[in-house]
Amino acid sequence: MINLLQTQVANNEGIMVQNGKIYLVMSIVSIILIGLFIYVASIDKKLSQLEK
Amino acid sequence: MLRAKWWKVLSFVLLLYTCTYGFLVKVPKLDDRMKESIRNFFFHVPMWFGMMILLFVSLVYAVKYLRSGNLVHDVYSFAYASMGLVFGTLGIITGAFWANYQWGSPWVGDPKQNGAAIALLIYFAYFVLRGSLLDIEKRARLSAVYNIFSFFMLFPTLWILPRLTESLHPGGQGSEGNPGINGKDMSATMRTVFYPAVIGWTLLGVWISTLRIRIQLLQLKKDGLL
Repeated sequence: MINLLQTQVANNEGIMVQNGKIYLVMSIVSIILIGLFIYVASIDKKLSQLEK
Repeated sequence: MLRAKWWKVLSFVLLLYTCTYGFLVKVPKLDDRMKESIRNFFFHVPMWFGMMILLFVSLVYAVKYLRSGNLVHDVYSFAYASMGLVFGTLGIITGAFWANYQWGSPWVGDPKQNGAAIALLIYFAYFVLRGSLLDIEKRARLSAVYNIFSFFMLFPTLWILPRLTESLHPGGQGSEGNPGINGKDMSATMRTVFYPAVIGWTLLGVWISTLRIRIQLLQLKKDGLL
């Protein structure tokens, strides 16, 4: 019963800490990915300007 | 093709999908050793798929260069080989990292690991060869020939020899078939992430290669060689 209660408390802490905090890892990986793509896209844009 | 936009967006969408759904998708729990680490399949394995595809494109341009003598083909070949090697290096590092927790040590001398290391070293010599030649025509011709040799060395080192002996890596004796493509070995839900992941990572590799190509072409134009 206590165990069950503890799980419920843990589950109430919001989406970031559910499931062993996998959503947190997922968010961080996504942020890195988005940052990387922004960087590559900006290099691409600079190159296009140079080519003109 | 170099400047088209749609496949760059596609790459982003597929990788965002991989990096989100890849963590959420239900994966089979076969035993207590693998657990969630099978999700590495969406990251470690596409590195090798991407490497094979990029190195194949590099090979095609190497052959094209030898047929045409056009320096542009050499630029393409070099850029794709570089990015292929980036993927291969990331593949071997992630493999060692995974092996540390799965096999007990980052380098266990497994035939697949040794084979991959040999394959990469053979390719690294491609860059040594390029760096040691100053004459542009000679560099392009010799490195194209060596590129063809090193591509075909991938087959014994990566695809054949590790499968003829016992290996901890999937694909060795006792677990036949291609560990990446064999549908029977991968659950249907995992395939919904795995194939988009392969396409996404490969397209990202192509994108970065095209950036390198464009820089190199600008440089050649500036130097009046094109």
